[in-house]
Amino acid sequence: MKRWTVARGLRRAVGAVAAASLLIGLAACGGGADQQPGGEATVAANPEGIDDGTKLTLWTRAPLEAQAKALVQAYNASHKNQVELTITPNDDYVTRVGAAAGSGSLPDLFAADIVYVPNWTEQGLFADITSRIDTLPNVAEINQGHLAAGTYEGKKYVLPFVLDLSVIFYNKELYTEAGLDPDKGPTTLAEFKEHALAIQKLNKKGVYGTYFGGNCGGCGIFTWFPMIWASGEQPMNEDGTASNLNGAAAKQVYAMWRELNEAGAVAPASKEETGATWVGDFQQGKIGVMPYPATLLATADKSVEVGVTPIPGVNGGQSTFVGGDGIGISKDSKVSDQAWNFLSWLMSDAAQVEVLAKSNSQVSRNDLAENKYATDPRVKIINQVAAAPDSHTPVARNCQQAFNAPGSPWVTLFRNAIFGDGSSIDADNQAITEVLAQ
Amino acid sequence: MSTMSRPLLATSSRRVLTGALALLFLFPLVWAAVASVAPQPGTAQVDGWGLGNYARLAGYQAGLTQYLINSVLISGMTVIFTLVVSLLGGYAFALFNFPGKNLLFLATLAILMVPYATLLIPLYVLLNSIGLQNSLVGLALVLTMFQLPFATFMMRISFEAVPRELAESAYVDGCGTFTALLRILVPAVKPGLITVGLFAFLAAWNDFIAPLILITDSDKVPLPLAVANIRGQVMGVVDYGATEAGVVILALPCVVLFLILQRHYVRGFMSGALKG
Amino acid sequence: MATPVERPTAVRSAARTTTGPGPAAQRRRAPRLRLARRNQGWLYAAPTALFVTVFFLIPVLLVAQMSLSDWGLFAGNRGFNAPDNYTDAVGQRLFWPAVWFTVKYTIITTIILIGVALGLALMVQEVALWNSFLRTAFLVPSALGLASASLLFYALYAPEGGPFARLLSGLGIGDGTVSFLGSPNAALWSTVAVIVWRFAGFYMLLLLVGLQGISSDVYEAARVDGANRWQIFVNVTLPLLKPSLALCTILCITGSLLAFDQFYILTRGGPDNSTITIVLLVYNIAFGGRNDLGVAAALSLIVLLALIVINVVQFTALRGRED
Repeated sequence: MKRWTVARGLRRAVGAVAAASLLIGLAACGGGADQQPGGEATVAANPEGIDDGTKLTLWTRAPLEAQAKALVQAYNASHKNQVELTITPNDDYVTRVGAAAGSGSLPDLFAADIVYVPNWTEQGLFADITSRIDTLPNVAEINQGHLAAGTYEGKKYVLPFVLDLSVIFYNKELYTEAGLDPDKGPTTLAEFKEHALAIQKLNKKGVYGTYFGGNCGGCGIFTWFPMIWASGEQPMNEDGTASNLNGAAAKQVYAMWRELNEAGAVAPASKEETGATWVGDFQQGKIGVMPYPATLLATADKSVEVGVTPIPGVNGGQSTFVGGDGIGISKDSKVSDQAWNFLSWLMSDAAQVEVLAKSNSQVSRNDLAENKYATDPRVKIINQVAAAPDSHTPVARNCQQAFNAPGSPWVTLFRNAIFGDGSSIDADNQAITEVLAQ
Repeated sequence: MSTMSRPLLATSSRRVLTGALALLFLFPLVWAAVASVAPQPGTAQVDGWGLGNYARLAGYQAGLTQYLINSVLISGMTVIFTLVVSLLGGYAFALFNFPGKNLLFLATLAILMVPYATLLIPLYVLLNSIGLQNSLVGLALVLTMFQLPFATFMMRISFEAVPRELAESAYVDGCGTFTALLRILVPAVKPGLITVGLFAFLAAWNDFIAPLILITDSDKVPLPLAVANIRGQVMGVVDYGATEAGVVILALPCVVLFLILQRHYVRGFMSGALKG
Repeated sequence: MATPVERPTAVRSAARTTTGPGPAAQRRRAPRLRLARRNQGWLYAAPTALFVTVFFLIPVLLVAQMSLSDWGLFAGNRGFNAPDNYTDAVGQRLFWPAVWFTVKYTIITTIILIGVALGLALMVQEVALWNSFLRTAFLVPSALGLASASLLFYALYAPEGGPFARLLSGLGIGDGTVSFLGSPNAALWSTVAVIVWRFAGFYMLLLLVGLQGISSDVYEAARVDGANRWQIFVNVTLPLLKPSLALCTILCITGSLLAFDQFYILTRGGPDNSTITIVLLVYNIAFGGRNDLGVAAALSLIVLLALIVINVVQFTALRGRED
């Protein structure tokens, strides 16, 4: 009898465990993001956060590796807190953050491509740091585009991490060889086309007029939205729910690239370029002129004589895509005061001037645009275009799905427009609107 | 037995052809080993031969040793869990009769029918709710579950192959079932245990999609995931050298184990023996 | 080793002659012993039962529930919404492209892989030292994990510095910018190459087991009847190899339909979403921007149903022909 009870009891126990697990499973799912319990008292008492030797974890993506490493090194050298940096390949970043967020294991701090920030802010991945930001001494000078991207329902969640602006880079040596003025880059789209064709005429082996990410949605918006803005057109509607990428100026941009491609002035590798190596060829001196991320000025300088000019529109003007990453404290962090210490340092002169400006990177504070390291005239051009009236950071909730995701409708649109015959632009544009409006 | 009374080709040309084919199969691994120490632009080993790629791998984020430890822990735990559960389970199925026995066995085998992907998403949610998310133990438990069909089946037929008298005589001598298991039966089913352990180890060491979804802490990832991540550290450059070094380290234990143990399980597979 | 018949009698007679409880007492003990054995059986099977219940049965129920609920990655379970997830899954922009590609990939891989494996098996079936070396060489790739094999070939396919690229440009093929993973067709065939390399040895082994089962007498009889090599192969070898071929086909089809690792590592579904497989689509829906676990669960259940149907069809078709 005893053994029977044991066996039955065992079976019951197993059943109970199973039922319990099921119930826990059902009950536990439903909690969204909890707000950080950073009390007002702690915030007021420690406007710069707490530096007590805590280990902080920070995630960022590969494109900003150089700046991220420099910042983390400088912080670790001068503080008791130590930041542990994890760099993730660009294509894997969204899924890694997604899986971590879903299981409540986000790092203390993480950076996000500014175009994803509105979505992730709305989903509650970042902690509310409104009161902390408001205590910053230079809050009015912080790049408003980035701040706005990370603002949801009046609360602020994100600060600019590394600004990445798009500008035109050209190879001064190739310009001289082609008979172009090495001190003047293109100031209209027509001139851009002219210059690229001139470089192509050199007929040097392996050298091409220009390059672009033919399969890279993110590269596309980064480099062509400014061309559209500078032409006085808007690629999307104000709240980012409808696409206007079949506008007149946009069509002229695609036409120019199509003509360049048909003339053979675009490197053949562009067609399949997914963005992993879109900046490589210019650094090897193989490309004449192309829109490029300003963060790589120092890197490109090592191997090429780089000329810089703002991205022009159809008839002139200048604009840039104020991209890069924003950074915030995650919803899962248990050391938000210490994490804030890193962020408040990030906004200080020590970080902005001594680390970022010193390495020819962009500063996130407008009052520091003229700093002691900004002696390079090219850096001045970049800093100045960041504040130009036509420069923007686009805000769209479904930006990633509509533009950046591999095989997004945006990629379909411009591939059809440039490598095809351009007849489906309106239909493709409608597909983008559908995704944006989700 | 050969179907040919006369060989299709002369032995020497046959040797050359088949040898070339064998080289084709062996080439990728050999190349990886060589290339991981050879000079290559865009890697950590640009000039001359050396271990630069391995050094970069060693210093990458949490460090090679940490990733190796993670992989070893995961594989080790999976092997232990699998061996224990399938040993006891196989014993039960083979030598006992209890209600629900066939149902349980069928349920265990049914795991083979359900694809990995279908189970990983609810497992992700389930582990979150019991607090095992992002943990090596949780991952090992999941990997063990995937091993259970093969392992239990293997152990069951191993136990069934043990002569009944061996077990019966043990019981009559006054051993409890557990002591009988330990003292007499385990040694008898050792080949089965080795096979099960080997498969569990290889599966756990090489698994990619489960850690991808279930582990998010960058210092808890196992080696395959770490090597996949190290490819794209700097925008615009793919570090092939570090990838090759990583593959060599990943493949080494597997190939070594395979070569050492191939006598056992290949022979086992081909127990009909190659007829001359 | 004593035959099964003799020992029990010896044991029983030994028991009868020992000083112990008489036959009646033994009969009384027997039921309790069986009962004890039965419950102990449950105890030994308990860990298995626990694993199967917690990590298999419950997730299966959970995925069914998830597929019927509005279940976001961050937001969690927000109530039932059947059949929205299923219509969303099938209406996904990439659903039919992924299905089509997965099927295409499965057919190509199965035909090539089984063909190559059969060829290898026929080549090395005789006993010889050389054949032992060949067998080992063909089997070594199967020691690697699929992810490791994919990473290895990712390096091999490097567009400029990789050995294949250098070989091709050295031979003058292509215009210097060979891209193994850069165009849809190239990516497909490059991935098939990886799978064939990795699995040919394993399937060769399975077919070798089948070949061993063919008695030499059958071959002798056929040769006596005057059949030539090809006729022997088609009329004798192939039919007798059916069970092994069937097993290989089922394994290969199932594995290819569920392909993930190699595509994640080599192409990430690109270029242009041309190499997205169904499982990759499930992963992207769950974690890659859309963050919808409900739709991902629905899609993965659709995959499960398709697999069951395909396997049932295969079993009946192949078993029918066997008889």
